[in-house]
Amino acid sequence: MHLYAGKKHQKYILNDCPNDSLLNAIGVRNGLEVSVVTKQPIGGPIIIRVKKREIAIDKSLACLITAKAVN
Amino acid sequence: MDCHQTKPLGNRPEGIKRILLMGNPNVGKSVIFNRLTGLDVVTANYTGTTVTYHEGLVRFQGNQALLIDVPGIYGLNAQSKAEEVAVEMLNSGADLIVCVLDATHLERNLHLAFDLQTYDIPTLYVLNLSDVAKRKGITIDVHLLSKYLNAPVFETVAVKNIGIDILKESLFKPHPVKPALKILDRHEKSQEITENVTQEHDVEIGFLERLSEWCIKPRTGIPILIIVLLAALGIIVGGGKGLRALILLPLVNNYYIPFMTNLIEGIIPESVFRNVLVGEFGVLIKVIEWPFALILPYVFLFYVVFSFLEDSGYLPRLGVLMDGIFRKIGLPGNNIIPFILGYGCAVPAILGTRASGSRRERIIVVSLISIAVPCTAQTGAFITLLGDRSIFALAFVYFISFLTILLAGLLLNRLLKGKSRPLILELPNLLMPDFKTLSKKIWIKMKHFIYEAQVPMFLGILLAAFLVETGMMNTIGTFLEPLVVGWLDLPKEASLSLILGVVRRELAVMPLLEMNLTTVQLITGSVVALFYLPCISVFVILVKEFKVKIALLIALSTFVLAFAMGGIVQILLNLVM
Repeated sequence: MHLYAGKKHQKYILNDCPNDSLLNAIGVRNGLEVSVVTKQPIGGPIIIRVKKREIAIDKSLACLITAKAVN
Repeated sequence: MDCHQTKPLGNRPEGIKRILLMGNPNVGKSVIFNRLTGLDVVTANYTGTTVTYHEGLVRFQGNQALLIDVPGIYGLNAQSKAEEVAVEMLNSGADLIVCVLDATHLERNLHLAFDLQTYDIPTLYVLNLSDVAKRKGITIDVHLLSKYLNAPVFETVAVKNIGIDILKESLFKPHPVKPALKILDRHEKSQEITENVTQEHDVEIGFLERLSEWCIKPRTGIPILIIVLLAALGIIVGGGKGLRALILLPLVNNYYIPFMTNLIEGIIPESVFRNVLVGEFGVLIKVIEWPFALILPYVFLFYVVFSFLEDSGYLPRLGVLMDGIFRKIGLPGNNIIPFILGYGCAVPAILGTRASGSRRERIIVVSLISIAVPCTAQTGAFITLLGDRSIFALAFVYFISFLTILLAGLLLNRLLKGKSRPLILELPNLLMPDFKTLSKKIWIKMKHFIYEAQVPMFLGILLAAFLVETGMMNTIGTFLEPLVVGWLDLPKEASLSLILGVVRRELAVMPLLEMNLTTVQLITGSVVALFYLPCISVFVILVKEFKVKIALLIALSTFVLAFAMGGIVQILLNLVM
């Protein structure tokens, strides 16, 4: 599944992240455990939590990130 | 209000130690810079506040060093304007790097630290925001981190001036170049270091953490936005009216004006010269009354509200919340920050767009700000002019402004080639702003306003007094009659607003105060002033940033739009009222 399809409060491990320099620099990479905080309406971004950081990722980009749900 | 220095890179006074202050965006570099140098560069709680670099001298026991505040970057790939500046800075040589690390986001911050180690420059580290880390239950073993990095690490809370003195002293001690860490995988290495030096305790989620989450969830974020907007309006409009009515107007009307009028009338006999000084547009009267008694309270309260929001970290959350709407006009949501800055002054707003990435985005933001965003001084003038007559008239003018921003944004998004880049934004910690830092910031902004506004305001009023008292205004009024009277349905003397509006935006509004206008005429005059030309400082910045062609195109669009919208609004309102 892609990250944008993720459910709120569910944890995911990122499997395949696109090669985007800012995404990489901000530390969003394969193997990272994230949880979905919320999604913004009318095509807005998804907000994920990585440890104690909150990161907003554009819908178009989040649709390219594959992720696997974890318990 | 040019808050940012731009000097040629590599400027290096002889014999002075050159220190680069570097780090990820929004880790508090500019606050540390201000604390170490005693200077006042602009700071805020969001990324990209430092769009160029600042330099200042650090003094300690008779020694001095040149400290350079480099824009915040995540790495050294030179993929953004800020990274280009940073790489150029490093290549032009330095005696020491001070790398600032955010104690709440250590793992991510270490990537840049590893990048910097590849340069053979002595480096020391500052672990800032350690108070916020503690609040979040994060404790970092500074000694162990120092061992890992093979360099000194200083713990600071820059906004509270904690740890700054020891840091300052260490800048003047010798620091040898240390060999770079051998790293196979930087992600693994940063993870390993962070896990070993960090202890995380479970802490009860505090109010600010809860509020942070409420601000970004649409169901709670939108009501919070409405509350913030209403509170901001209440403080600026209500508070400003109160300050004016209770303190400033009585001081000016009861003491200053009678004193100045009596003084001049006692010295200078009845003449055109005396009228230029204390007549209808008397320069000695209006130069105090307009900026200080009528506009200053609103400007002051705007900056109180704005600086609070800026330092709290609320604005990036608002950007995330508004991203969907902003996409419709071709902009990622974080462009809301230069927009809101534009309601203060367009100059820092235009400079702030340097952090926003593509030229396409910059042109859209800058055009919309120049066309339809009134600056704080003009807002003050609108509240004075319209707020006293009808709050609906004031709301109507702002409605026209928002509508134009939306329509012009949709149009520019279609006309300009290319796509907006996707939004990737790390949200800063939501903080309760530090009172001292906030007061200083407001004071700096007020000083800027007074210095920037006073000379053009004085010259503008002098010109108005001269034109009115010599009768020249009558001739100009007759010349502009078809436009001002025929099309805009304003009195002939309203031509004065068009002349003064060239100097400053609020000066296109203030002369209307002195005329006995109907509500429709007040609205028409305000709509024309809203769109009219960008002020001289804005025009100069547009030329510097985008060249003459685009600056002229923006100025021409605003000029044509001012008369088109003024005329249409006048016709429609006269039909229904």
